[in-house]
Amino acid sequence: MFLARVTGSVVATQKVKSMTGHKLLLVEPLRVEPKTRDHLVGTGRSFVVVDTVGAGQGEMVLIVQGSSARLTPETEKLPVDATIIGIVDSVHVENHTVFSSRE
Amino acid sequence: MRIAEIIGTVTLSRVHPSLVGGRWLIGVPYSLEGLQRNESDGEDLIIFDHLGAGIGNKIGFSESGEAAAPFYPEKKPIDAYCSAILDQIQLSERGTAR
Amino acid sequence: MQIGEVVGYATSTVKHPTLKGFRLLVVQLLTMDGQADGEPILVVDTLGASQGSQVIVTTDAVQVRELVGSRNSPIRYTVMGLRDT
Repeated sequence: MFLARVTGSVVATQKVKSMTGHKLLLVEPLRVEPKTRDHLVGTGRSFVVVDTVGAGQGEMVLIVQGSSARLTPETEKLPVDATIIGIVDSVHVENHTVFSSRE
Repeated sequence: MRIAEIIGTVTLSRVHPSLVGGRWLIGVPYSLEGLQRNESDGEDLIIFDHLGAGIGNKIGFSESGEAAAPFYPEKKPIDAYCSAILDQIQLSERGTAR
Repeated sequence: MQIGEVVGYATSTVKHPTLKGFRLLVVQLLTMDGQADGEPILVVDTLGASQGSQVIVTTDAVQVRELVGSRNSPIRYTVMGLRDT
């Protein structure tokens, strides 16, 4: 899994039939700054994901990728490879709080 | 399975119902050089845990299909799973692999 | 299958039950010219591979299932053979 920030949504009027009615979100994966390990940094990458938990714009989310993205009742029949499975409350690295949803 | 050092934890305010009760760890994998220097140096990822691994532990973690296998036939959307908390890693003096 | 070099051993007390009783090797998979291919992996070994030797590593799920007698194992890699020197 990886952490990501919801940066927007994607609309596609034409899409494969099974995806009808499913909202697609755009996210930017984040990683722990490798040297200092005291904050999260954007990777600059971008992924399109489906949502199972009701995530909103700007929220920090947890994403599962690959074939495991289909291991939910909501996504098992969808042609997807990345699914939001959680909304992040806080992230701790060593003795730092590197993210808190209440700040 | 790859080997990772646990450097952190993630708490969730909302989670997919099939995953309630899990713990979420931040792991940094090791390259061979990293293992030899005892410094984790790979790209960090979030790992599901129910063995009780903590910060500073070295673990073996499974990915993709194998990560969800322990729950079969139940389906859980997991792509990284803590399979073993390692007590010790004994490396050979020198390997030809670099 | 891929060729890997046994670079070490790992021991673990707290682990998934299907790993109990198996030797765990630390293996570095190799490229054509003997360079490291990716990060080292943990491989279940039933053949007694020795440190520094080369092994043939398989990701076959049926092999894992027969070895541990369960479909519930998170094991991916097992030693399929010891490469003759």
